[in-house]
Amino acid sequence: MRRVSSGVWLVLALLLLWEVSARTGLVDSPNWPPLTRVIAVLGRDIVSGELPLLVGSTLARMFTGLAAGTVAGVSFGLLFGASRLARLVLGPTVELLRPIPIPAVIPPLVLFLGLDNGMKITVGAVTAFFPVLTNTAQGLRAVEADQIAMARTFGVPAWRRLSRVTLPAILPYVLAGLRVALALTLVTTVVAEMIAGEQGIGHYLVLMQFAGRAEEMYAAVLVLAFLGYALNRGFVVMERRLIGWFFATGREG
Amino acid sequence: MARRLLSLVPGLAFIALLLAGLEWAVDAGLVRRALMPPPSAIWAVLQDLGTSGEVLGPLFATLRLVFIGFALGSAVGIALGTAMGWWSAAFRLLEPLVEMMRPIPKAALVPPLMLFLGLGDTMKITSVALAVTFPVLVNTLQGVRGVDRVLLDSARTHGWGTGRTLRHVVLPASLPFILAGMRTSLGLALILAVLAEMLTGQGGLGFLILDMQRSFLIRQMYAWLVILALVGLALNALFGWAESRALHWQQRN
Repeated sequence: MRRVSSGVWLVLALLLLWEVSARTGLVDSPNWPPLTRVIAVLGRDIVSGELPLLVGSTLARMFTGLAAGTVAGVSFGLLFGASRLARLVLGPTVELLRPIPIPAVIPPLVLFLGLDNGMKITVGAVTAFFPVLTNTAQGLRAVEADQIAMARTFGVPAWRRLSRVTLPAILPYVLAGLRVALALTLVTTVVAEMIAGEQGIGHYLVLMQFAGRAEEMYAAVLVLAFLGYALNRGFVVMERRLIGWFFATGREG
Repeated sequence: MARRLLSLVPGLAFIALLLAGLEWAVDAGLVRRALMPPPSAIWAVLQDLGTSGEVLGPLFATLRLVFIGFALGSAVGIALGTAMGWWSAAFRLLEPLVEMMRPIPKAALVPPLMLFLGLGDTMKITSVALAVTFPVLVNTLQGVRGVDRVLLDSARTHGWGTGRTLRHVVLPASLPFILAGMRTSLGLALILAVLAEMLTGQGGLGFLILDMQRSFLIRQMYAWLVILALVGLALNALFGWAESRALHWQQRN
């Protein structure tokens, strides 16, 4: 059992301050409900199934987008890493598109894909694409060319070479990109929900703000905070399982 | 230099080809003009916006948000990260709070911030600064903790005080980390600025893109999107330039 550090006390004190300031009218505002009321609402809406349903639909869109963006990112990353020509021809286009802040592509996507799943999944996919692409291409260049050359010498066919040698070797790099993509995709999927359509936890958050239902709004923020935390933790656990060898051999970076 | 310029040719040719292809596809009726006007029409709008000076107001509004928010967030992140890396008491005090705030998708904080700070610049700058702070903080912390013990010992041997050691040893040594954090944050700053403008329905480029879409002024929407993309590109280039200047000593070793 670790000794409770000063930091934990600080967090508790701040939460207590929240509660007290709201209860005693120190901050007298309908936008500042006591923490216990927020938690009560959070519990109520989890039990009633409302929040789990919203979160489920957001996560489903997010993971679909993430998967599509990852597949595209890995494919283009392999192409960029393997072919100088591809890099020369397509590189500038990618560099031109990459710095566009994702929320800004939502309005044009709405024109083409409407307000629902298709648009939001595309937003997620576009978000995930760039970090995965960059890391895959970097990984391919960092992986010892010997490994691949050796496989070729032994006459391993191209397809098996890709699946048995190249992909496992660059996996740590792909996962590093995926980790960045995971956090960003959660943000942009929620942002897409906030800006357009009537789906998911993002829309719920904005709706509750407009409706002046502060408890529900803060409950949604808490849910998103938990999601951000849980997704990252889950990813770290998965990464350790998949590429424990990478960390074990001390070949980070 | 000439070789570098030459290597850009295939990529730029590809972009030109894409634009020409798009122009042709719209003219041939393969793409609906209502959704995707030909690049030449968007270019005409861009020229109008440029020559009339109409571009300047929204452009500076957004740049202001990004710059002030980025500067504030970076300053707070560097200060807290340095304190936490240097004094273990500060680390113990703040670490739980930071770990609690960090996973919150900062986009989710925009609606509550709107309730407290209104729709003006204060709210938008706060949103941007919040998103910028945490990546900078975490990277600064990592950098400060990784400073070579020998450097610190020799600073102490020379009788340097804390302030001097921090400024002349610790900060320069952790600069690569700090800048890496700031690079991540720059992208986030743009995302948050655009989102805040979209959600408040007022302000610069982000608001205009959404507003033009809702008013079915599609050419204008794309024109503002192009301007925003250029802003993203320019900010990245500017940062890259500043980074290579700040770290020139590193490459020399």
